[in-house]
Amino acid sequence: MISVTPTNNQAESLDLENLTADQTALEIRNLNLHYGDAQALHDISMAIPKNRVTAFIGPSGCGKSTLLRCINRMNDLVEICKITGEIRLHEKNIYDKDVDVAELRRRVGMVFQRPNPFPKSIYENVVYGMRLMGVNDRRTLDEVVERSLKGAALWEEVKDRLNASAFSLSGGQQQRLVIARAIAIEPEVLLLDEPTSALDPISTLTIEELITELKEKYTVVIVTHNMQQAARVSDQTAFMYMGKLIEYADTNTLFTTPTQKQTEDYITGRYG
Amino acid sequence: MDKLNTGRHISGKFNDELDAVRTQVMNMGGLVEQQLRDSLVAIENSDHELAEQVLQRDYKINALEVQIDEACVQIIAKRQPAASDLRLIIAIFKTIADLERIGDEAERIARVALESFNNDQQQFLVSLENLGQQVLAMLHGVLDAFARMDLDSAYEVHQMDAQADRQYEGLTRQLMTYMMEDPRGIPKVMNVLWSARSLERIGDRCQNIAEYIIFFVKGKDVRHVSPESMARTVGRPQPDTE
Repeated sequence: MISVTPTNNQAESLDLENLTADQTALEIRNLNLHYGDAQALHDISMAIPKNRVTAFIGPSGCGKSTLLRCINRMNDLVEICKITGEIRLHEKNIYDKDVDVAELRRRVGMVFQRPNPFPKSIYENVVYGMRLMGVNDRRTLDEVVERSLKGAALWEEVKDRLNASAFSLSGGQQQRLVIARAIAIEPEVLLLDEPTSALDPISTLTIEELITELKEKYTVVIVTHNMQQAARVSDQTAFMYMGKLIEYADTNTLFTTPTQKQTEDYITGRYG
Repeated sequence: MDKLNTGRHISGKFNDELDAVRTQVMNMGGLVEQQLRDSLVAIENSDHELAEQVLQRDYKINALEVQIDEACVQIIAKRQPAASDLRLIIAIFKTIADLERIGDEAERIARVALESFNNDQQQFLVSLENLGQQVLAMLHGVLDAFARMDLDSAYEVHQMDAQADRQYEGLTRQLMTYMMEDPRGIPKVMNVLWSARSLERIGDRCQNIAEYIIFFVKGKDVRHVSPESMARTVGRPQPDTE
């Protein structure tokens, strides 16, 4: 039998309901989140597989960014926010009392919509996390800078001006610098919150290309408003609506034959 | 899941584009059906004038195929359709290719209608007519199913092909016997045989279109699957194995 499937970057489909421990990066169990009296997430349960790209899509206010932020406890900073349920990273609930949040955020890195480099040199931006961890050995740091910038597909463009200000870079380059900063400390999971929505189409494609490379080493979770982007870069897609997880499936399936009417209406651009 | 709610897109222009392309497919289907019906009438009544009309009209079908293809390409380029919209465009692409070929077969049948047959040979034309009516009913049924994207009617058309195949085999046997009895009549009989073959192929193409309809509605590719698997897909009881 000759396979006619193109050798694209999309991984083989997994049985998302029954992932083995080896295949699982994160497991979200019965997660509920309230902002004061308003419930923003309703009983979300899903397993996010390792070394794959998982996309969260849905209309504004559906809870996709909130869910993403739960994964490295960014919502802890919101006072009125109350969370029940579990998110397990290697069988350990990240909301347990004994979890060191700084250590959690080292393992679960995050990149935001607008590139947010620090007002420092390119070099210092990349090694910022390492310095925080107390690493100051020049040779180690040099290695980290080269490896991270190469990993973020930025090395060739900046290798001759590592001491230039990060602000001298273009928006797309800054976003890749921020990704380099995130991977410098070798996280396990990389959370991307609309990483290309402030970028032009060409920079967007560069980041998308980068995402498919990043999944070889990291588990990537991306929130995007661009459905074609989710279709292009992710292996599985979760569609959320009004705080609920409506459908979570292999990306190829979700974009051709979704099973839920709400998903169908959203991805085909129909009135809900 | 809703089937043809093309009117519910937030983009009104996208609704219009999809509706326009569907209307064109229905026009093309109507034209193809008329071509087949006329070619069968032309054979039955030895109506050479009607046969000529069929031959002259084929270009319209070809032109529609090109137009619809172009419209679908534009939609894919501009709208990046997903899910049911994507399946609709794919089903249309494939359907119009089969419709165009059905038009070609109708043209072939019309050419046979231009021939003159003696009284003896007229009996085959009656058998051909029977097969023709069966296939015409399939074409009519599948176009109707396409207009409504109706799973049940598509499946029924798909099942009708077995009957057409049996009629074709019976007619072939009849024609072979005649050829053995009277070799002088072979050239004429061969023409009837080609027409029968054309009709049988039209039946197959109607079956293809029925499969595209099932693909659109269910999202499952039912080409080259067992009858049991197809019945399961459309939610019918398993067919009896004969």
